[in-house]
Amino acid sequence: MKKKLDFKNFSIYFDQYLFIAITLLSVMGLFFLYSASQEDISTVAKQAIFVCFGLLLMFLVSQPDPDFYNTFSGLFLIFSLVLIFLTMIFGKEINGAKRWLDLGFFTLQSSEIIKISLPIFLSSYLYNKPLPISTRHTFITLILIGFIFALVARQPDLGTSLVVFMSGGYVLFLAGLSWRFIGSAIALFLLSLPFLWNNFLEPFQQQRVLTYLNPDADPYGTAWNITQSKIAIGSGGINGKGYQEGSQAHLDFLPETETDFIFAVIAEEFGFIGVCILLSVFFFILLRCLYLAFNARDRFCRLTIGGLSLVFASTLFINLAMVVGVVPVVGMPLPFISKGGSSLLSFYIAFGIIISMATHKKLMQR
Amino acid sequence: MIDLNERFIEKRSFFNRLLLIYFFFGAMFLFLLFKTYSLQVSSYSDYELAALKNKTKEVLVQPVRGVIYDRNGNILVNNVPTYDLIIQPSKIKNLDDFIINISKIIELSDSEIENINKNFKRRATYNRELTIKKDLSKEEIAKFEVRSYQFQNAFIDVRYSRENKYPYLFSHALGYVGGVSNDKVLSILKNQDLKQSETTFKYSSGFIAGKTGLENIYDSALRGSFGKKLFEVDARGRLLKELSFEKPINGKSLFTHLDLNSQKKAFEQMNNRRGAVVALELKSGSIVTYLSTPSFNVNGLSNGMSSVDFEKLINDVDKPFFDRAGQGRYSPASTIKPAIALFGIKEKIVDWNFTLKDPGFFVLPEDQRIYRGWKKGGHGTIDMKDAIIESSNTFFFSLAYKADINNLISHLSEFGFGRNVCKDCFNPDSGLLPTPEWKMNNLNFGWFKGDTVNLGVGQGYMSATPVQLAYYSAFLAKKGNLQELSFVESDSISNTAFINKLSIDNSDWDQIHSSMIGVIEDPRGTAKRLKPLKSYVVAAKSGTVELVSTETKEDYKLVRQNIGNRDHAIIVAFGPMPDPEYAVSVVIENGESGGSVAGPVAIAVLNELINK
Repeated sequence: MKKKLDFKNFSIYFDQYLFIAITLLSVMGLFFLYSASQEDISTVAKQAIFVCFGLLLMFLVSQPDPDFYNTFSGLFLIFSLVLIFLTMIFGKEINGAKRWLDLGFFTLQSSEIIKISLPIFLSSYLYNKPLPISTRHTFITLILIGFIFALVARQPDLGTSLVVFMSGGYVLFLAGLSWRFIGSAIALFLLSLPFLWNNFLEPFQQQRVLTYLNPDADPYGTAWNITQSKIAIGSGGINGKGYQEGSQAHLDFLPETETDFIFAVIAEEFGFIGVCILLSVFFFILLRCLYLAFNARDRFCRLTIGGLSLVFASTLFINLAMVVGVVPVVGMPLPFISKGGSSLLSFYIAFGIIISMATHKKLMQR
Repeated sequence: MIDLNERFIEKRSFFNRLLLIYFFFGAMFLFLLFKTYSLQVSSYSDYELAALKNKTKEVLVQPVRGVIYDRNGNILVNNVPTYDLIIQPSKIKNLDDFIINISKIIELSDSEIENINKNFKRRATYNRELTIKKDLSKEEIAKFEVRSYQFQNAFIDVRYSRENKYPYLFSHALGYVGGVSNDKVLSILKNQDLKQSETTFKYSSGFIAGKTGLENIYDSALRGSFGKKLFEVDARGRLLKELSFEKPINGKSLFTHLDLNSQKKAFEQMNNRRGAVVALELKSGSIVTYLSTPSFNVNGLSNGMSSVDFEKLINDVDKPFFDRAGQGRYSPASTIKPAIALFGIKEKIVDWNFTLKDPGFFVLPEDQRIYRGWKKGGHGTIDMKDAIIESSNTFFFSLAYKADINNLISHLSEFGFGRNVCKDCFNPDSGLLPTPEWKMNNLNFGWFKGDTVNLGVGQGYMSATPVQLAYYSAFLAKKGNLQELSFVESDSISNTAFINKLSIDNSDWDQIHSSMIGVIEDPRGTAKRLKPLKSYVVAAKSGTVELVSTETKEDYKLVRQNIGNRDHAIIVAFGPMPDPEYAVSVVIENGESGGSVAGPVAIAVLNELINK
């Protein structure tokens, strides 16, 4: 349901389903984070501020007409790129990776922004191109995606760069990329895998992939994270060990409990039942996005809703797949749950834009 | 503007493609749900166990080692609780700083600091603890406890140190305890079905095992079984709280046959001379006295001594570590004669009426070589009894001359020579009963008749330990009815009917006994000086072990200027006769006279055992 409240000439654009579901997730997230952070109230308070600010931001971002985003999408992209470059120059280096820009009150992970602005820009660029998309436009788009992918991958941040790559790829695909091109691209990718392995992956990234392929080789070394994560999830059983009772999380066996591995904490403390409840909220949000995309007013809105919701879905599934040990370890937050302001805010913005695209109607569809 | 048709195619293409991706994600969603289900439901028990293993740690609790008693219930070895200062080397980054800081509170001696420096690294590697100062005073404990917050890596705990109440008396018999190698720890844990599981050894760093003596032989019984404390731990291995405690089973007490009083007497009599005393209780065949002198302080070794003191012990020319009683090899010399006499009777080479004129020497018919007796001019015409009482060499030279060497060897083996005769002695030596094969293999020479002749008076290649000599003495006393010796009464009384392989008549045994009584009681006896030292009858045979062969007494006087060249004094004895209860052997290195030097020690020990 899209809702349009009229206050004389002033209208409020709002989708109560998404709003309720996202608020629910955010509150659950704070609740989980309290346990995952070893009952650290300051972490939760900080996150709560982000949640409140994020919800407000989501509401504000959903007010402008989609045309506003269509018009300024290029500016947004340039702004995001500037942030990336600034990060390259002034970025804060943590554990050998330069991903963060210190803004004083807030440490911004600039790559989180571009994964929103890139699909919007591409939607705007491709929405009025004739079908199927010409080779020329395909290549222009691909070069842009490849360029931004390379920028993020250089930080190095393989996880986010893949999501950035996907965010562009989804829009291109939804806009009508020719199947022949898709087929040859996949073939080319597979053929160049060894080359990519040797030239683009950092040694620690290679190690993660090797660990994934052979997890038993070194359970106390590189496979520690994933081993402990599986133990945490598995030992949760059906009912879980109870809130704040997870031994894996509370005795420090599980790494990164507040961020990447928070799902393992939830699974340990709330069991399979808790997992099902949490995932059904996520599933509901995705289904709602599908519905909104189908009912969007024009091609730009469709592409944007499709692109952004798929970015959300990809982040979610990569995180889950990593935590249960199906894909190698990549740094990827659980949307709306994991600690971390940048990712949180970027998803509030994304859903704000989705709501804007879904709620603004035109009498005459283009 | 795109026309309507195109817009319709575009819309359909978009929906199809979006649905395609959603289907892919839907499949992924189901797969992840299935994966979570398989972790949480199908494999739940595996992961529950893994989580349990993660968060709990077993810490072994050491049992208290068994107490060792003598046969009258006197405690010989006990455990003494002390408050020790213990550190965790793996948690100390800078050892020098640590020592400086701790020294401000508790004074450490040079040898204690040396001990820390020596063991620190290894303990840190194995995550073991290290005791840096033992037996703290109340004042020191109070001083440390007040400042203990400064020392997260050190603590005071009660530890048991092993205390031998008579540290010099039983050094070789009971032995000492000490720390054990990591391999040994692992094998002990394996035997008790325990896994090391990176145990910090919080409660078992004082892990000790018997190194020598009965402490070693009965180590597993004395040790007991480990208890377990289960702790909740975090990923860094910190012990958070105790979950359960399975108490250790303390070691069993060891009730030995050793007799404190006779051991004391023997020690006093030996007066630090080099030698050994072994006494046996005949009825049970058990060892009541087991002494090797000079001795050493066994507690020093058990509980750590400075390396200077240790070097001093190691380099002592009198070799106090050496267990002369169980490992010292001495020729039996004339003490062998009763066994040779029995051989003569058994093989019908002689009988008790046979006489021989002893000119003081024996000439080997083969090469005219002369074998001398100890008395110039000889003993005159003597029978075998006289030959034992007066210790005639000539008589036994000529008896041995007529013996078949192989028969003689198997006969002597029955008396305990050349084999281990003790069930629970630590590293017992078997002495040497030379055979023609042994000589060929070791000396590359064939067996000469002269070798057999030498064997007749217990000289030459043959050697025996004081334990074997005591066994021999007891064997004579019990007329061949003797089993293996033991310090401890065995649980299963293996009174398997003893088969006396020696076909020797009781009357012949009696004759031997009366001859050996004569050694002391007869005015001609070689040990007649012992007669007034006791109030009962004792049978004995003395011996004097020639270390350097000399032709005349003048030659010997020259030789004996070097103390190390003087003859060993040796005696075997048993009594009271006619129903002997105890047998004893005494060896005094370079003591010169079996009868008058070793004899009084033997009699003093027998007095202690019998007159109570």
